[in-house]
Amino acid sequence: MTTYSTTLSVNGIPYSLAFDASRNLLSVIRNEVGLTGTKEGCDDCECGACMVLLDGHPVNSCSYLAAQATGKEITTVEGLSSGDELHPIQRQLLDAGGVQCGFCTPGMIMSTDALLRRTPEPTDEDIRIGLSGNLCRCTGYAKIMEAVKATAVELSGS
Amino acid sequence: MTTLEDQASAPPRFVRADGPAKVTGSGRYVADLSLTGMLFAKFRYSGVAHARIRKIDVTAAKAIPGVFAVLTAGDVPDVRYSPVIPDRTLFAKDVVRFEGEILAAVAANSPAVAQAAVDAIVFEYDELPIVADLEAAMADDSPLVHEDWASYAVTGDTPRDRNVATFSSLSKGDVDAGMAEAHTIVKSRYVADGSHAAPIEPRGVLAQWEGDKVTIWTSSQVPFDARNGVCETLQLPSNRVRIIVPHLGGGFGGKCGFHFEAHIAALARATKRPVKLVFSREEEFLVPDRRRESMIIDLTTGLRADGSIVARRGWIAVENGAYTADAAFFAQLAAMHVAGPYKIDNVHIDSHLVYTNHQPSGSVRAPTAPQGCWACESHTDELAAAIGMDPVEFRKKNGIHTGATGVVGQVYDEIGLQQCIDAAVEQIDHAAALGEDEAIGLAVGWWPSFPGPSGAYVRLDSDGAGQIVTGAQECGTGAVMTLRQLAADQLGMDPEDFEIIYQDTAVAPYDTGATGSQTLLNNGRAVVDAAEQIAEQLRQHAADHMEAAVADIVLADGHAHVAGSPSKNVSIAELAEIAGGGELLIGKGSGKPPDYPEIPGMNCVGDQGVAAWAAPQFSCHAVKVRLDRDTGVVRVLDVACAHDSGTIINPIAAYGQVEGGVLMGIGQALTEGTHYGEDGKQRNGGLLEYKLQTFADAPRITTKFIQIPTADAGPRGAKGLAEAPNVPTAAAISNAIAKLVGRPVRQLPMTAERVWNALQEETP
Amino acid sequence: MTSITIPTSLRDVLEALAGGARPIAGGTDLVVSSRQGKAPLPEALVAIDQVAELSEVKTGTDGLMIGAMVTHARLMTEELLVESYTAVADAAALVGSPSTRNVGTIGGNVMNGSPAMDTGAPLVVLGAEVELRSTSGSRRVSLADLWTGPGRTSAAPDELCVAVHLPLRPVRSGSAYVRLEYRRAMEIAVVGAAASVSLAEDGTIAAVAVALTAVAPTILAVPDLDALVGLDPTVAAQRVAPAASATATPISDLRASDTYRRHTIGVMATRAVEAAARRASGETIAVPVNRALGIGAAR
Repeated sequence: MTTYSTTLSVNGIPYSLAFDASRNLLSVIRNEVGLTGTKEGCDDCECGACMVLLDGHPVNSCSYLAAQATGKEITTVEGLSSGDELHPIQRQLLDAGGVQCGFCTPGMIMSTDALLRRTPEPTDEDIRIGLSGNLCRCTGYAKIMEAVKATAVELSGS
Repeated sequence: MTTLEDQASAPPRFVRADGPAKVTGSGRYVADLSLTGMLFAKFRYSGVAHARIRKIDVTAAKAIPGVFAVLTAGDVPDVRYSPVIPDRTLFAKDVVRFEGEILAAVAANSPAVAQAAVDAIVFEYDELPIVADLEAAMADDSPLVHEDWASYAVTGDTPRDRNVATFSSLSKGDVDAGMAEAHTIVKSRYVADGSHAAPIEPRGVLAQWEGDKVTIWTSSQVPFDARNGVCETLQLPSNRVRIIVPHLGGGFGGKCGFHFEAHIAALARATKRPVKLVFSREEEFLVPDRRRESMIIDLTTGLRADGSIVARRGWIAVENGAYTADAAFFAQLAAMHVAGPYKIDNVHIDSHLVYTNHQPSGSVRAPTAPQGCWACESHTDELAAAIGMDPVEFRKKNGIHTGATGVVGQVYDEIGLQQCIDAAVEQIDHAAALGEDEAIGLAVGWWPSFPGPSGAYVRLDSDGAGQIVTGAQECGTGAVMTLRQLAADQLGMDPEDFEIIYQDTAVAPYDTGATGSQTLLNNGRAVVDAAEQIAEQLRQHAADHMEAAVADIVLADGHAHVAGSPSKNVSIAELAEIAGGGELLIGKGSGKPPDYPEIPGMNCVGDQGVAAWAAPQFSCHAVKVRLDRDTGVVRVLDVACAHDSGTIINPIAAYGQVEGGVLMGIGQALTEGTHYGEDGKQRNGGLLEYKLQTFADAPRITTKFIQIPTADAGPRGAKGLAEAPNVPTAAAISNAIAKLVGRPVRQLPMTAERVWNALQEETP
Repeated sequence: MTSITIPTSLRDVLEALAGGARPIAGGTDLVVSSRQGKAPLPEALVAIDQVAELSEVKTGTDGLMIGAMVTHARLMTEELLVESYTAVADAAALVGSPSTRNVGTIGGNVMNGSPAMDTGAPLVVLGAEVELRSTSGSRRVSLADLWTGPGRTSAAPDELCVAVHLPLRPVRSGSAYVRLEYRRAMEIAVVGAAASVSLAEDGTIAAVAVALTAVAPTILAVPDLDALVGLDPTVAAQRVAPAASATATPISDLRASDTYRRHTIGVMATRAVEAAARRASGETIAVPVNRALGIGAAR
């Protein structure tokens, strides 16, 4: 018996799923759960496009077995905004011009969310290191830096 | 001339029309699409750099349950294609010439089954000698990459010889006489490795036939080129092939051209099913015929005693790789960058595009320019040093300016190179004082604009909502997003009143695509034209409605009002409703592209049309770096940029282009280079070993735009901007490193080990 | 085809191993290898991440015990480590990205046996032992006995690394790990060096150990450093460079040539000893020392 049956909680919704135990979390989120906001840019944790949160911590879902996410709360980019209201990091990224092709954006957003939970008032260096696992080829990171700083100010109210 | 900083207000808020989709994850890229009954494609690659095919046997692969089709060369029309030098076929025939050449394409009911079929294909071959070194490839006794090179149906002025796919020269004046006159002569050699576009989205293609028509969703920067490639290779009329690009996850030139759309369309036709291909990261590195070319550059320059350049001789080899993608113009373009934006009376540069058994080269963001500029500008600092002149002063003295004559005899209209130098120097001087083992380096660059045909429709529906239907392609730069700003300004409306329909060859008129930094230049004109036709209709309706003269109607703030009487107005929405009951508000734009400059007596052999530059863009980057002398590790701390790209229409997007180009330039300078093994195969086709710059590496970047509304350019005098920022960064870094090391590092990328090796050289 | 069990007790894990299953912790090595086609996933996997006792960090009379499932994210911030076993924290903070540090574990790292692993050299200079357990018992092995070659260990297939044990630290001691970095993040060690230094009351070297990353088939301790005892730390730091270079047997690959590796390993060893000595003298240098001091290759 190689099919693994489990319930995964994605963005607060439980999904009863059965998949081969070798399947990575990214492919299960994209194909079985049906959420394609999480992207696949490489296969060895180098690009960060597949970043999701497990119990609030960032994880490269491409290199994590889906079975091991059982019992953990999985958050994807689709789970970040509530209703039609954008999450502050989403809005600030658009305002600052931190989105170009958009392919790194969901992963960058998830890493930012984790960073700001861990470090609500980050220094520039905290941001640089905290987001270093998310490659962006378009922006040179400058506008993303602006957006993350603005988000930190907005969320921490300082 | 104004710099952007001269403008009183902060950049206007600009929110991309595609932004909400991209930040919420609802935006669909090709890999995100699926259709009922869809099959999965995989390619079988040669896996060997040069070999004669003895046998390709797909019998076992076809027998695997779940395999629907396995196609090879015999299953598609026998067409040799490529612009200028048609030397490629969809599938390998007789000979394979690089490791990523496609032998066969499989469609199966799962990616795993497709992979099993690929593995079951039997490929027998006899190895042929590998052509890898550019100079050896040019020797008379070199093995040939294409034995039938002379039989290819090339077009234009394209001199060729064996492994030299094409040759080009720039020539002006008398170089021998100039050198004889020189007070000081400096000779340099520079060697640049190949590199990659490396967009974060690996490409995908999805094709579906309905009857005799095919729809192809593809991650292409150039949907019309992709369509034309499918039509040419599968022998179909253009109206039976519809290319749709959903959101595109970056391209940087790597997704220009026609790639795998025909293979997947052929699979979909053979299987009568939708078929999808998604590349792995490794395939994205090894297979596409678009990587940045390696180059060898020899430069000899003679100076007069006053520091003016009297003569320049150059010799260039540009790597073409195994096939000619769009690289036929690279030899001439490289020559322009090696010649540089300087006043030189006597110039002769010979430039060769050379076949090897490596991945084909193609237009990656400003092809040949970062390498050519790196060589030219590193050499320029050597020149200044040789004559004891400050490098900034040297460039100010020799650099072209408004009214000056450049290297091919083009006389430049108002240009901002000199102001760019001043602005970059001023900005970098504002950075903190130099610490130990820190230095500032500077370089200038240039890049042409490419006027061309382009079309768009604009319409206002009866509720006053606008729609722009354009052939232009958005690859992230924001160029297409800026179109609604142009339409809105023309109609006195808000950009957010418009939606944009784009990236669909069936619904929009032709555009060249996201290539050559041309979107705003050409499609911008088209949209302005189309919107102006609606503006005329609106003014007529408003004049009728308010009983005023058409000439007195002003469109502003969502209303039409009578000039001088803002209170006498009618909303555009109301006018649109009126029009909705009669003649509809539809505009179509294309218009005649700006002319290319004519250069009397231009003396170029192998002219591929890239010596006379329309609306040339200029730049100067100044960088501050720090060197670790014990290891050769270099960090870039500050980058100050100044660009003349004409009028800046969308400042936020413009800053974003510069910042992104700078970071790519830092990568090219320090960490991004392709390693090849003795077997002719890439050794670092992955993001672990091919090192893009991370967030942690990003320096402070400041930018000033020297805004010259340029004649014969885009709307409001805008030039291109997407490629120009990628030109001078590596060169500026080279010059900063050379100051610290005491000599240039003559290989690109200037890796830590290469810098350390240069530090070990004895000072002569 | 692969099956997986996810037990919550160590006994169940060990029984699964006895039945032929392979352990998986964060998966960063196993899943990546299988996705890249280098090695298929084992047919039977047993996840160890739900076994609570494997995630403990505890002090005892004989030193510190770090459970095998302790992640790099925790190693770099855990006070007990940052205070007394700082080189481990330095190394953990340099591994990959926040996400890989959040998933990758010390047990996975040690048992993967890569000569390029960052936490290896710090554990060697700090005298770590690995606790291996199976259904038939438990044993402790030194790292030198554990690592037998690149990617190879002396552990039996049914043995699980349950903990890493670090002995108590002498007074006036400090440690540091320094790595050559082409970029400021997301690097894999081209070369790296860890040092542990104890100072005499007069500030001279009382004891020193240095270990080297990515310059041999396994992580190596630099032998015969007794001659450095009694020297001023800055002198000792200079003298360690040739010793490190002489110990190294590097290869040439696309990351660096053997010549460059042999040179830079000496530079890294010097910098590691310098930083360790400064910490031993009571100075606080933030973790990781690479970013605290240098332009990525700390100095």
